[in-house]
Amino acid sequence: MLKIFLGFVIFAALAMFVIFKGGNSLDMAGEKHGDEAVHAPAEAASDAPAAK
Amino acid sequence: MSAEEKKVIFASSLGTVFEWYDFYLYGSLAAIIAKQFFSGLDEGSAFIFALLAFAAGFIVRPFGAIFFGRLGDMIGRKYTFLVTILIMGLSTFIVGILPNYASIGVAAPVILICLRLLQGLALGGEYGGAATYVAEHAPHDKRGAYTSWIQTTATLGLFLSLMVILGTRTAIGEAAFAEWGWRVPFIVSIALLAVSVYIRLSMNESPAFVKMKAEGKTSKAPLTESFGQWKNLKIVILALIGLTAGQAVVWYSGQFYALFFLTQALKVDGATANILVAVSLLIGTPFFVVFGSLSDKIGRKPIIMLGCLLAVLTYFPVFEALTKAANPDLYAAQQKNKVVVTSDANECSFQFNPTGTVKFTSSCDIAKQVLASSSVSYENAAGPAGAPASIKIGETEIVSYTSKGVPADEVKAKSAEFKKAVADALKEAGYPSKADPAKVDQVKVTIILTYLVILVTMVYGPIAAMLVEMFPTRIRYTSMSLPYHIGNGWFGGLLPTTAFAIVAQTGNMYNGLWYPIIVAGMTFVIGMIFVKETKDVDIYADD
Repeated sequence: MLKIFLGFVIFAALAMFVIFKGGNSLDMAGEKHGDEAVHAPAEAASDAPAAK
Repeated sequence: MSAEEKKVIFASSLGTVFEWYDFYLYGSLAAIIAKQFFSGLDEGSAFIFALLAFAAGFIVRPFGAIFFGRLGDMIGRKYTFLVTILIMGLSTFIVGILPNYASIGVAAPVILICLRLLQGLALGGEYGGAATYVAEHAPHDKRGAYTSWIQTTATLGLFLSLMVILGTRTAIGEAAFAEWGWRVPFIVSIALLAVSVYIRLSMNESPAFVKMKAEGKTSKAPLTESFGQWKNLKIVILALIGLTAGQAVVWYSGQFYALFFLTQALKVDGATANILVAVSLLIGTPFFVVFGSLSDKIGRKPIIMLGCLLAVLTYFPVFEALTKAANPDLYAAQQKNKVVVTSDANECSFQFNPTGTVKFTSSCDIAKQVLASSSVSYENAAGPAGAPASIKIGETEIVSYTSKGVPADEVKAKSAEFKKAVADALKEAGYPSKADPAKVDQVKVTIILTYLVILVTMVYGPIAAMLVEMFPTRIRYTSMSLPYHIGNGWFGGLLPTTAFAIVAQTGNMYNGLWYPIIVAGMTFVIGMIFVKETKDVDIYADD
């Protein structure tokens, strides 16, 4: 159990590091369905270069 | 816990983490994928692809549950969830190497959607297999504790996908990530697949299934037995409306709607909202195992039902407290100002738009959309027939417009003008355009979000054990998978769009909560009356 706890603490620390670093650019909203999976939102579209 | 039992739990949970990883990758990278695969489509084709993407998320999962559930009850748990993880892993990997629209034209989105459909199918088959497999290896009085590990996998899979995405992004830079680096997390899944397959191949088949097969008692027609006989069908229906529907809306409210509410309704910046939600999820995650283990002592039903009841009783005050803590200026503005939408009622639609493909064009719908997305609570007043809707904010009255039959560039200009007029009037009335970071009470917000996540762990921690215990071994995989995926895919997945439609219709930003409250209330009442406690059930009694 101690190993699992330690593993989880390390995982949680890594996850928090990632999220702190990722800031606004991470999308944590989960699944995307329908129109939102097909149309890029304006701000995301402007970040990404055109498809080549 | 023996070494073999630990291996069973580890292998099942790890595979399921990877399945969620694959599934969430697509959501987290949706904006880039849309740009790469769908940007060249005309409007009609985009509409069809949007419907197909919707089907991949909602329709296909229950089919996966039925298809793989049947296989699992006929040929075994081990081989079936080996197949589901192979399909999921390979589909994800192929997305990573799939040429984009610019390279192969419309074939790119067609193949992508097919892969997405396969992922939905695989996900539908995975959970029931993992839950059944672990439960059938668990001692009688430890099923709740053992299966609760599987319940942590959705959260862990989400974090794992975010970690790989950000690791790649940081290593290669934003521009390269948007151009080709987004493929890396998908390609990485082949390594995760190899690990999962290796571990799962080394595992033994469920002892209950082996015994049943040796005695020639496996079901020849699991679908007919599960859904064609009222004796079992009624339990499937009860499992859906008396358990998983409520569990699903509490889960989606606590994890996804809370984030949506923070960023979209309360205008908290995305980075802060992500951090606060992540902290609460990580604090909450061990409680899946706590409540799973507790359910072995006091029963599954009291914990799940209490979670639903607390959701019903506390969502309104809790989300209001969230507003006060995260955006006190917005709360003050809402208390101080009265906003009225005057419209011809015949013009107003219930803006339920699960596929995102319906365009609401009347002046009433447009006015309400703009107010709802600005987090403004408003009253509705009846206007003269045929007259355009108007918004009154304090002493300022703004007339809305219709976009039906109007050229696109004219609509764009009208929309910008209307939104600016509304934004100016709201600003004058004290509505903040964003939450002031200095005024976000981060400790209080984290406590509130953690409470919501703990409700999630109450309803979700013991659910696998309970579903497993409701059905006999010969049709367990099939019978438990379907209510789980209809509950979570449909009742849970439709939460955001239903909540928005209710908010826009009623003019109160909290009224979207009626959807999870009504569904969780229904589950509480039906569950309390009709669903029996299962903790002491001998799951092999009918074998």
